Amino acid sequence: MDQPVLPGGGRPPDAVARELSRNLRVDSVSRLGPTPALTLDADALVRAAVETMRAGRSGCLLVTSGGRLVGLFTERDLLTRVLAVGRSLDIPLREVMTPSPTTAEWHEPLRIAIRRMQEGGYRHLPIVDSTGRPVGVLSARQVVHYIVEHFPAVVFNQPPDPRQFPEAPEGA
Amino acid sequence: MRCPACDHVNPPGADECERCQMPLSTLDLPQPQGPVETSLMTDTVMVLQPRPPVTIAADAPLGAAMQAMVQHKVGALLVTDPQGVLIGILTERDFLLRIAGTADYERHLVRDYMTPQPETVQSSDILAVALARMDAGGYRHLPVVHNGQPVGVISIRDVLRHLTRFCME
Repeated sequence: MDQPVLPGGGRPPDAVARELSRNLRVDSVSRLGPTPALTLDADALVRAAVETMRAGRSGCLLVTSGGRLVGLFTERDLLTRVLAVGRSLDIPLREVMTPSPTTAEWHEPLRIAIRRMQEGGYRHLPIVDSTGRPVGVLSARQVVHYIVEHFPAVVFNQPPDPRQFPEAPEGA
Repeated sequence: MRCPACDHVNPPGADECERCQMPLSTLDLPQPQGPVETSLMTDTVMVLQPRPPVTIAADAPLGAAMQAMVQHKVGALLVTDPQGVLIGILTERDFLLRIAGTADYERHLVRDYMTPQPETVQSSDILAVALARMDAGGYRHLPVVHNGQPVGVISIRDVLRHLTRFCME
């Protein structure tokens, strides 16, 4: 019997994976439109950082000094270096930030940025321009969404609950 | 849609072939193409090797929750009732959004700050289901549940590591 013609058929089996692999090399970080970074000066207080992150609904803040990126402050840092050790919110960010974070540049290929995220186990990667000025943040969530978009049929066609079936056939 | 048995051309989405009555609805199911899609549709969430859940009681104080998160190096605690059933989740995000700056928060109870009835996946769910939920809800952690009891947690980093294994060579 002939192989049935499948919807979307005609593409060789590996086409999507190869396309993704190619796109990861060709697309640059800017393709994902990294979210504009929340930034604060290293002398700003943790209290101000909390307010900024709450207002911006973001768990990650870039710390600058003279406009250049000098550190990263995340909700993890807030928990482990401030709250859990009983420190006050009225201390400068430079005392509790992660200094000299790993970064990627706007025009670098995505696969490089993703590799850096994975090697360091980071959820956020600050994106800087060629002068070291922060222009955005790339999050693991954005990367996963980008990859998922290459496989819309298998991911987005999943029913909300695959164990759930209608009690009666439609129209019965 | 062309019937694979008799080659009759049916309207798109037909449930069965007009000519030979062969059921066609299964042809509408997405067919995996290539290694990534095959993994998404055939591997269960357990392929991500979910880390063991760190649980806490709803009437525990936030101070104990913080220590547990630091000690176990996790960003999310699963809140369970005395029978071990999952009733909520408490994450780093809750500390940022609602807890930091509150007076005497160490003595407040987990139940007042947790997210009740969090989105979960079953240990038998395929990866595509977990991914669809994480992507749609913007969740960074998903508890893995078996018979109502939490058996693990998968994180967005686990997903990213698994997906890129296929396409970063």
